[in-house]
Amino acid sequence: MISFRSFSKSFGAQLAVDGLNLEVARGEVLALLGPNGSGKTTTLKAAAGLIVPSAGAVMLGEPPRSAQEPAAREVLSYLPQKVSFPDALTGREIVEFYRELRDLPGERVPKVMRFASLNGAGERMVGTYSGGMVQRLGLAVAMLPEAPVFLLDEPTAALDPDGLCAFDALVQHAREDGRAVLFTSHQLGDVERLADRFAILVGGRLVACLSASDLKDRLAERGVMRLRFAPVEGRDWTAEAVLPAVRPLAPAASWSGDELIVPGPASVRPRVLDLVRTLGIEVRGLTADEGQLGELYRELVAEAAPAHGEGAK
Amino acid sequence: MKKLRLFAAEELALALRSRWTQIFALVFAALSAAVAGAGYVLSGGQGVQDFARTAVSLVQLVVLLVPLTALVIGVLSLAPERGAAELIYSQPVPRRTVLLGKLLGLFQALAAAQAMGFGAAGLLVYSQAGSEGVGGFVLLVLASLLTTAIFLGLAALLATGAVGRKRTRALALALVVWFVAVVLLDLAALGIASVLPSGPASRVLMVAAIVNPVGAVRTGALLGIEGTGAFGAASLALFRFTRGAGGVGVVLGASVLFWLVVPTLFALRRLRRADV
Ligand SMILES: Nc1ncnc2c1ncn2[C@@H]1O[C@H](COP(=O)(O)OP(=O)(O)OP(=O)(O)O)[C@@H](O)[C@H]1O
Ligand SMILES: [Mg+2]
Repeated sequence: MISFRSFSKSFGAQLAVDGLNLEVARGEVLALLGPNGSGKTTTLKAAAGLIVPSAGAVMLGEPPRSAQEPAAREVLSYLPQKVSFPDALTGREIVEFYRELRDLPGERVPKVMRFASLNGAGERMVGTYSGGMVQRLGLAVAMLPEAPVFLLDEPTAALDPDGLCAFDALVQHAREDGRAVLFTSHQLGDVERLADRFAILVGGRLVACLSASDLKDRLAERGVMRLRFAPVEGRDWTAEAVLPAVRPLAPAASWSGDELIVPGPASVRPRVLDLVRTLGIEVRGLTADEGQLGELYRELVAEAAPAHGEGAK
Repeated sequence: MKKLRLFAAEELALALRSRWTQIFALVFAALSAAVAGAGYVLSGGQGVQDFARTAVSLVQLVVLLVPLTALVIGVLSLAPERGAAELIYSQPVPRRTVLLGKLLGLFQALAAAQAMGFGAAGLLVYSQAGSEGVGGFVLLVLASLLTTAIFLGLAALLATGAVGRKRTRALALALVVWFVAVVLLDLAALGIASVLPSGPASRVLMVAAIVNPVGAVRTGALLGIEGTGAFGAASLALFRFTRGAGGVGVVLGASVLFWLVVPTLFALRRLRRADV
């Protein structure tokens, strides 16, 4: 539904996005990650037809049409990173305006106002809204047309826990309806919970694109199991005794204090446990941690940064 | 067309709620009433001047105030906050529809604001002096509306591409444009003319009066209201220059049309390829 074809954009000498190839299919939720200034907003703006690509193209819908064409944007709902509205209009007037602009039935208005929990504030001027209320109004406008393509630029940045909950429901709903969602966020928790795929931009280049199952595998590899053994009179459960036996299964296993540390995928853990039992050791404590998306993200960014560092700043 | 009207209606509502438009309406009404009433004072309480004389006095007010407000209110409304522009231009509507709709709404708002002033002055004159010379007054109102449209187009040109921070710059430029069109060009023409022999001097003045949008509207309005008497010998020279009254109309009309259409066309062209 969204397709970036060798899309590049430069602002003067500044290359903001460099040869991006990326597709978002129906029913797919793709999270675009990357450090500040890595080109996420530029990418979304191009898909919203707001900026003219310096090279390549961005296509929307089926059959694909250039995002530059107004008619192609019928399929689109875009929430800007820092959405704002004229101060002198009320929330309801704004939603009503966009409803008429998109030729939608009147019953959509109370629906999205309720979704955004703006019913109480609907008659107030937007100039009196808090930052999060403006963001909610932006979401209300974005969900108004039930468009097949959602582009959301840091939609959760200003939301309170209730707002986040409503947003999760919105994304879930969009996925079930077979819409394509492309969103950016720095909240890796939201990202991990919501997205089917993760694309990481660094310095305007796509450095990684992982599916949720890729991500699970990658994170599992970075998991770690810690075992503590019950002391038994006359037996020595120290590194020398246990490690040589465990190493063939988990080469990175190590001993720390009184714990056996077994890094690596979850799949080796039961086998290590079995082995330990056959050695006649009693396990007294077991903890297992999965890898953190945050760590993986930082590593991927750091890997890419030296190569593309000059593009970033 | 429906979408264009939708943008116009939104812009009209916004403009009518804007402090700027309200201040303009009040100031303009107060000054118009004052100009109309001044005749009463000047004549020692004998009665106010008729429509034609009032219209002549009001031309100066229109020429000074209307371009300024159209430029300032136009730029402020047409150079939106970044987040607002992004949302609007991502909608499935051609950018030209957005700009033309907003221009239409702004024009309606400013016309409504001016109607208050002209209404007040008109009522005052009518109640005291009857409807004599009302044609000249109508011409003045027309000239004022044309000036509004011309300077809204110039505001659009200044405002397109001026998203976010660049708004302040567009606003400063608007003041420069006002100063050049309303003050500087006339002064410069007068200055140049004063050092030239009378023949070329009157030609410089004539060209300045035709080429400058403010000059063209003012010249047209005054000639329309007062006929050849408007500028004395200068009008005769102008009529000779353009070979008769019809010629004057064509030349001034062409100038006004140019200023009405060309800046807006450039604004639309600039907007089409601009990054929002
Ligand atoms: N209108 C513009 N003019 C000049 N440079 C720009 C413009 N917009 C973006 N840039 C530059 O392009 C690069 C990418 O910016 P972009 O806004 O896409 O980053 P981002 O990934 O969205 O960052 P953030 O996480 O801070 O929102 C930055 O270096 C930025 O300075
Ligand atoms: Mg951004």
